Amino acid sequence: MHRLRYLIGLCTLIAAALGALWIVRLLRHADERPGLPLTLEWRDAQGLRAGTDVRYRGVTVGSVRSVAISADGSKAVAQLRLDPSGAGHARVNSSFWIVRPRFRGLTAGASGLDTLVRDPYVAFFTPAERGSALAPGSLLTGSERPPAGSDPEALGDVQHGDLLMTLLVPENHGLKAGSAVIYRGMQTGEVRSVALAPSGTHVEVALRIERRHRQTVTDRSRFWVARPHVSGALLSGFTISDVSALLTPYVSYIGEPGQGVFVQDGFRAAAEAERPDLDVAAVPAAAVAAATAPEASPAPADEVVLVRITYAATERDTLSSDDELLRHGTGVLFVDRAGRAVVVTARALVDGAYTEHDFWWGDPEIVDEQLKVLLPDGTVLRAGRVWVDPEGANLAALVLDGARPDLTGTPSHRIGRPTELPEEAPRCLRAAGPDGGTMPEQELQPGASASAELLGAAVVHDGKLLGLWTFLPGGEGGAVVSLDRLPDDLRPR
Amino acid sequence: MDPALQLRGFGLAHRRSGAEEVLLEHVDLELRQGGFFVFVGTSGGGKSSLLRVLAGLTESREPPPRMTGELVVFGEDLASGRASLPQGSVAAVLQDEGLLDELSPRQNVELALTAAGRSRKLAPALLAQAGIPAPPGRIAQLSGGMRKRVAVARALASSPRLLLCDEPTAGLDPAAARDVARVLRAAHDQQPQRTTIVITHDVDAFDGLSDGVLVLDRAARSLRLEQPAWRPAPSTATDPSPRETPELAAAHGIRRWLLQAAAISETVLDSLRRLPPVELGLAARTAARFVLEPALFVAAAGAVIGGLATFFALRNNPIEGGFETALLTGAGKVSAAVLVPMLSGFFFTARVAAGAAARIGTMKRTQQIAALRMMGIRPADYLLTPLVWGMVLATPIVTLGGVVAAALASAFAAQLASGTSAASWATAYFAAVEPRDALVVLAKATLSGYLVALACYHLGTGPKRSGAEVGAAVDAAIVVGMAFVLAVHAVLTFVVYA
Repeated sequence: MHRLRYLIGLCTLIAAALGALWIVRLLRHADERPGLPLTLEWRDAQGLRAGTDVRYRGVTVGSVRSVAISADGSKAVAQLRLDPSGAGHARVNSSFWIVRPRFRGLTAGASGLDTLVRDPYVAFFTPAERGSALAPGSLLTGSERPPAGSDPEALGDVQHGDLLMTLLVPENHGLKAGSAVIYRGMQTGEVRSVALAPSGTHVEVALRIERRHRQTVTDRSRFWVARPHVSGALLSGFTISDVSALLTPYVSYIGEPGQGVFVQDGFRAAAEAERPDLDVAAVPAAAVAAATAPEASPAPADEVVLVRITYAATERDTLSSDDELLRHGTGVLFVDRAGRAVVVTARALVDGAYTEHDFWWGDPEIVDEQLKVLLPDGTVLRAGRVWVDPEGANLAALVLDGARPDLTGTPSHRIGRPTELPEEAPRCLRAAGPDGGTMPEQELQPGASASAELLGAAVVHDGKLLGLWTFLPGGEGGAVVSLDRLPDDLRPR
Repeated sequence: MDPALQLRGFGLAHRRSGAEEVLLEHVDLELRQGGFFVFVGTSGGGKSSLLRVLAGLTESREPPPRMTGELVVFGEDLASGRASLPQGSVAAVLQDEGLLDELSPRQNVELALTAAGRSRKLAPALLAQAGIPAPPGRIAQLSGGMRKRVAVARALASSPRLLLCDEPTAGLDPAAARDVARVLRAAHDQQPQRTTIVITHDVDAFDGLSDGVLVLDRAARSLRLEQPAWRPAPSTATDPSPRETPELAAAHGIRRWLLQAAAISETVLDSLRRLPPVELGLAARTAARFVLEPALFVAAAGAVIGGLATFFALRNNPIEGGFETALLTGAGKVSAAVLVPMLSGFFFTARVAAGAAARIGTMKRTQQIAALRMMGIRPADYLLTPLVWGMVLATPIVTLGGVVAAALASAFAAQLASGTSAASWATAYFAAVEPRDALVVLAKATLSGYLVALACYHLGTGPKRSGAEVGAAVDAAIVVGMAFVLAVHAVLTFVVYA
């Protein structure tokens, strides 16, 4: 019994000794663990303690190993260690700062309030344009305050399909990361970052427009930095606009529906120096009618993939001013046998030369053609017109530029022939909406309308694509054009 | 030839609170050297008291018996209070034998031989002479008669000139009693100059073996020598109570208090004077035992304290999720430097000091300590020095074990309560812990261990007339030991950190 007791005691002491060794090793060799050791310098450690977190986007990715005063006493020096999971996010252009309660005025509000009830900790922010990776042991100068664009609460995550563009403004009137982007009084996006142009001639503001609102931005949209603006005259009275920007400036833009072409990511636009003097148009009667119309049936979830097409061009006239062409319609997306992303649509939608006619010379002069395709996932791609029906049928094919290899199109087994159906069989029209999504189906009636929104719409029966709904702009009535007219190399695989 | 024992006008009285109990008065008596005497008398008459005076076994922490006249043993007057007999000249077989339980019968004899400066190889011969040539391995395996024989063998180890035996046949059947009597006579005859005095109520067991009978007459408070054939006359009269003479109670109390103070001083001085271990092996074994026995107990206690402190600090944090690093740092500092060392000291005292005090108290109660003194072994060398070394070495080790266990439990609790990684926990937990803290912890543990050892020894070696007094000594050792731990930790913590 004594021996057993002594054995248990011995085992306990050995376990305690091993535990002590583990702790000593943990403390002494903590720096040898995988991860990225960094040295940060601040003018003031602001109560930072060893053992507190290092966070990136609110996630703990490391810890503060020690906090000390530099040899000359001029700085506070902190040793940090980032875990392997967080080391990749720390770049040469990352900004490290100590999170503590900060009040930055009425417009910017307070930040770091969580450190009222917890220890100050270190956070870092890496801009979207990531620099090269940091070397282990790098000595960095920490920011004394959070850098612009670092407030995680102000920036939403970029979703696939969001429009990322740059606005060039002559002067930044208080814009910062997180400032709102407003369209018709509704927030459609946010400012991602604000930076002075390298040339110093203007300020570059990175914007993110949410996918569901990206169709509101066209190459005709007009942007400005909203701030209180007084207009009018003594006799006619004054108007004060954008009063809401008194405390928090924001970016606003406007564009009339049906004007301009969708823009792609990377689009750059110059903001107006002042708020443009314009009146917002009333709600269109069509919208009112649509709002009072009986609710249409939801779009079926089959494999027919529709896209929204925007065509813009200029017709040069000889004796009159040029005509601007802008059309929106629908096309059917599929992947052809060569693996290209092909959109088939009405030729009247994508070829100005097909619809326009010069009074004097017959053939119109069409210039500055633009073809943009809005995919269901919100992506906007440029397109090229690669084929038109040689026999003059209202059918054309576009090839998308820069489509993802894994793009899903309409499969070949979904494509049928109009002749396979009896004349009285019901057919439905299916069109792409302004946001790229499929609009509710509507039944195809004999002598159906030639609504511009339906140009190129898919004619569907029982989940099979029978053809495209085509007509000539300004004409009356339409017709179904079969996809049988497509050459073999442009057919779906 | 000088007599072995001379009493001239000798008187003996016990000092008690408020009175003196007179046992002997005006005794004149001579006992020749080489005689084998049987000492009889009614119980409580003073036989054992006289034997303790002769053996030098009076209790140092109580007022000694008052002696008058002369009590000359081998030319030294013990009644004067200044004389002492040469080491080894007197040996006693005590009523409870006083065999050291932790040693084997043979080792008991060997220890006595070593203390007397004789060869340990003589032990088998002495045991054979006492009629127990092949004793069992443990004291607990001995019968009553065998215990007496081992005690006799051990008493003969120093080859004493005066052999005193207190009730050597008590509790034995007549045959066994006769055997023991023969053994004593045979041992007596081994050395012609040896004088043997045997206290007994069983005169018949020594029939034909004694050279005379010392009769203590309780009524007359006298002592006389009778012929070997003397037998006590049957009497129905009750023994009169010993005569009592008044003594000032206050004086008795002051005397006892002074004796206690002197005993404490003696314990402290002994602990320092006798610090170099004479019994090196015993000190090492004691230290190892004190380290190993409470290690799991203290580690478990430390783990519970450290784990719960961290867990509840983080989980029941009134500022939910706030200041976790600060909480861990505070918990680490207070656990590693103050709380766990102090509580480890408490647990160590409760676990080890109680056992040590109980062991020493039992040794005192069963006259093992008296036996040590009879063998010429200082109890401080045999008990105090190993105890001090054991506790001084074991307390810091066990305390560090508790601190480590608390830290490991804290790491686990931090992971459990807030998902803190081991590296972050270690950085925060030990952020405020400095090397100085380890030194202070070691100092506190060492000093408290030393004081606890003194308390155990001092309280354990106090007078023990009953098992209840042993229990009281254990209680006192725990309370005093914990008070020492508390005081040392509080004072040193305050002095260093305040």
